[in-house]
Amino acid sequence: MIDETTEADGSTGRHTRRRFIALGGAAGVAGLAGCSAERTGDDGSGGSGDSDGNETNGDGSDGDAEDAGEDGESETPTLTVATYGAFIDAPSVSPGEWLKGEFESRVDATLEWATPDNEVNHYVERAASGAPIDADLYVGLTTEDLVRIDEELDDDLFSAAGDVDGADAVRDGLRFDPFERAVPFDTGYVSLVYDGTETEAPETFEGLLAEEHRGDLIAQNPGGSSTGRAFLLHTISRFGDGGVAADGDEEAVEGDDGDPDYDYLDYWAELQDNDVRVLGSWDDAYTSWSEGEAPIVVSYSTDQVFADMEGADLQEHRIRFLNDQAYATPEGMAVFADADEPDLAREFMSFMLEPEVQGEIAQRNVAFPATDTAELPEDYAELAQEPADPVTFTYDQLQGSLDAWITAWERQYRGN
Amino acid sequence: MSDGSRGRDGSDGSDESDGTDNRRDRPVRLRDGNRTTRLGDRIERRALTGLAAATVAVLALVFYYPVGTVLVESVVVDGAVTLGVFADLLRDPFYFGELARLFAGESPLAVVRGLLGADRRLGIVGFTAYQAALSTIASVALGLPAAYLLARFEFPGRRTLRSLTIVPFVLPSIMVAVGYVATFGRNGTLNAVLGAVGLGPVDLMFTLEAIVIAHAFYNAPLVARVTTAAWESVDAGAVETARSLGASPARAFLHVVAPQVYPAVLMGAALTFVFTFGTFPIVLALGGFELATVEVFVYRLARDLNYAEAAALAVVELVISLSVLGAYLRYEARHTVTSRGVRPLPRRPLLPSAPTAREVLPRLGLGVYGVVAALVFLAPLASMVLASVTGGDGGLTLEHYRFLLERQRTGAAFQVRPWPAVRNSLVFAAASALVALPMGVVVAVITTREYRGRKLVDAVAMAPFAVSGILVGLGLLRGLVFGVEVAGWRIAVAGSAAIVAAHAVAGYPFVVRTVAPGLESLDRSLIESARALGASRARVLRDVELPLVWPGVVAGAAFAVAISMGEFTATVVLATGADAYTMPIAIERFIGRRLGPATAMGVVLLVVTGVSFVVIERLGGEYDGI
Repeated sequence: MIDETTEADGSTGRHTRRRFIALGGAAGVAGLAGCSAERTGDDGSGGSGDSDGNETNGDGSDGDAEDAGEDGESETPTLTVATYGAFIDAPSVSPGEWLKGEFESRVDATLEWATPDNEVNHYVERAASGAPIDADLYVGLTTEDLVRIDEELDDDLFSAAGDVDGADAVRDGLRFDPFERAVPFDTGYVSLVYDGTETEAPETFEGLLAEEHRGDLIAQNPGGSSTGRAFLLHTISRFGDGGVAADGDEEAVEGDDGDPDYDYLDYWAELQDNDVRVLGSWDDAYTSWSEGEAPIVVSYSTDQVFADMEGADLQEHRIRFLNDQAYATPEGMAVFADADEPDLAREFMSFMLEPEVQGEIAQRNVAFPATDTAELPEDYAELAQEPADPVTFTYDQLQGSLDAWITAWERQYRGN
Repeated sequence: MSDGSRGRDGSDGSDESDGTDNRRDRPVRLRDGNRTTRLGDRIERRALTGLAAATVAVLALVFYYPVGTVLVESVVVDGAVTLGVFADLLRDPFYFGELARLFAGESPLAVVRGLLGADRRLGIVGFTAYQAALSTIASVALGLPAAYLLARFEFPGRRTLRSLTIVPFVLPSIMVAVGYVATFGRNGTLNAVLGAVGLGPVDLMFTLEAIVIAHAFYNAPLVARVTTAAWESVDAGAVETARSLGASPARAFLHVVAPQVYPAVLMGAALTFVFTFGTFPIVLALGGFELATVEVFVYRLARDLNYAEAAALAVVELVISLSVLGAYLRYEARHTVTSRGVRPLPRRPLLPSAPTAREVLPRLGLGVYGVVAALVFLAPLASMVLASVTGGDGGLTLEHYRFLLERQRTGAAFQVRPWPAVRNSLVFAAASALVALPMGVVVAVITTREYRGRKLVDAVAMAPFAVSGILVGLGLLRGLVFGVEVAGWRIAVAGSAAIVAAHAVAGYPFVVRTVAPGLESLDRSLIESARALGASRARVLRDVELPLVWPGVVAGAAFAVAISMGEFTATVVLATGADAYTMPIAIERFIGRRLGPATAMGVVLLVVTGVSFVVIERLGGEYDGI
């Protein structure tokens, strides 16, 4: 159809046009061909039907074939570690590359990263759809992730950590999984960051309600941002949930403020009256804060590390722990129940907890180590600040409540 | 266009399948048949049917089936079919405001009183429609003067400017947010300009206005492009005839030009409404949670794995968007422009030729518009570029670009690197346009034939514009990436080819919309003559119809390319595990706790897209259309 060059009135323009159309058809067929088939129950480590016969991919995508031309059939086992994108790609926070190099130099194995955009939800979806889990462990689990996963799936997505060397060194306050699947490897603290040349941030939650701080605070949507969620949870820890999530037998969360009649929704109503801004993601909020839309933003207590890296004025990047507290957001790692290399995965977990590696993760991910044996430079604490009194909800507290807390907040805040 | 002739066209469909040998054997052919085999002939006769089947297959595979797997969750909960989720949703004042009372069984009168009351509640859905309507008005208001300028005036750089109008279309919201805060923020460009002329600062950020302006940034170019194309298609002869019959210039415009431009303006408006109804990240970035739209909740619910409610909300979105598109399609069918310009109206120079009011006033108006457009379109773009060369200490730096180079040079194989992202974006864009074109043309042909329910088919074919992007992504994950188990084999689709198909599906409705009005308006006798001379239906389409509506074809292709360049949700799902990431994905992946490297990649996207479109439209010839 496309080879007829002698058109009756074959102007070149017309000819090109025809090729264009006909080629389109061909490409359509090619599009249909981009599929793969794989025996189910086969325990190949790859599993995600990647495929694509298309040209462009220098290094193919499938599991075994990827690294340095090593053959998948060689004796070297491959450990597939799933994590979130920033862990390997973001220029400012990505220990991934270093970890891979270090692990491979110590252990006779190939480490492969997988970073699906939906993060751990990707594996929840896989499990729910009966698709094979094509990774050995997940790095970057939060307490809320575990609660959500356990509510959604009947079968275990992760298996118990079991014997992991070095797990004893993990600080007690950070162990967030009552079923001991997830082992924490680092933690962050969500606090206020403020521009000291514009304002002096208040020392208490109540201080944010003062007239002098009207319109000063930018927070994030708890439904879509983890810093926003942490800040909301911090207000619940402070003021109580007013029984929002109670369905009869459940106890209401009592706030530290000691006032049973004043809960987080009351606090947020006043915060909203004082013109707080709740934007979408962390970068929405931080962009607006950087441009001077408001002098205080909900962010991480490691902010000065980044400011220092960029040579910014540290006066403009000051940290405030409200009521000397900050909400801790420990990150954990856990082995998938369907892992092809469970032993290797546990070896990796031990590796992650070694003092030297802990120090590197903390510095490269700009966070805090999960163990008390981590080797950190003396001056690390100068810029990366830890609160006197970290707070965080346990798995049991979040279970059955988190969704109701957020929904109640959304309905009040957006309900006008 | 008379119905009779179209009816005859409709019957042509059957001709193809039963073969019309008597006609084929006639001596007069449209081409010299020497080199054509009987087999080739037969293939050609079936080409249209084949293409239609392929189109349906692609749509089913990468759109309807995957999306269906998600939407069905709104009516199937724990294995049982129920309408309970919808019932709860419709009766919830949080989403439906006063209307919820109607669904809850209150009397319509009470609801109307509530709606007229001072403290009426719109609900999330009502608010979403309200801001979409405002955004549509703003987009049309900002798009029409641009169309007037581009269609009616001649000036150096006109074609380049028109090519570049597509650029806003592809920018990720993170870039637009950065540009907008820097332009309209407290310390932004606007306030600096106002301050310089002694006017007080305005606080636009975190308001409905900020969202509406940002939506206009994305969509006014769309309105401008479709309207420009329609305006350029107005036949100068018709206007001259009207003038020679004594019509004043205003009257000639009102009765000859305007009726041919309206449908395009309405199409731009309808699409703008649908796009801004499904808006998501930009609303929270520039407005805040007080102004959250439906899609914000779809996202939250899906993220928390609450699929039943997320799917139900998405169905509500879909129904509203398709109703708006359906209303437009009914209008389009009734108001088809029956003649396309053989000789476009002559363009005027931008400088007035005489100091008369008639010469000066329109140009003065365009001057004012130019200032507004510079603020709405250029200033944010300039701010994005500036952000990419600004360091953490506020000084100028090339550090962020150095990061891109360094990542390209030393990045590990598992990391996202800039050049593969650029290359993949270009390859996917070209390939998906090549797939979207035949798909769009075939659907345009099918929906311009006369039969019952064709407008329904047309509306359903537009669904890729109207379904929540978040759920499309989820559907692709479930339906394609995870695959389906068939007889012990798991069939999965992912990688480059699937991305191209998904992009084509996202872009092809543009081709339909830009091609269908032209096809509908063609003089049917041309087609009949060609058929009588022995040409197959496919050949008539290729040799007669498409050349006549070529501007629309190119226009649709341009949009298909733009959609592909800017697409994120489907790409990120299908690129999983493969080295098939694109520029928007690279931008997202480079966001760490410093935004600089991401903005540098954003500028790369800006430049690559801009250059691509200048090149595409140079190649497309003067009839580059929309």
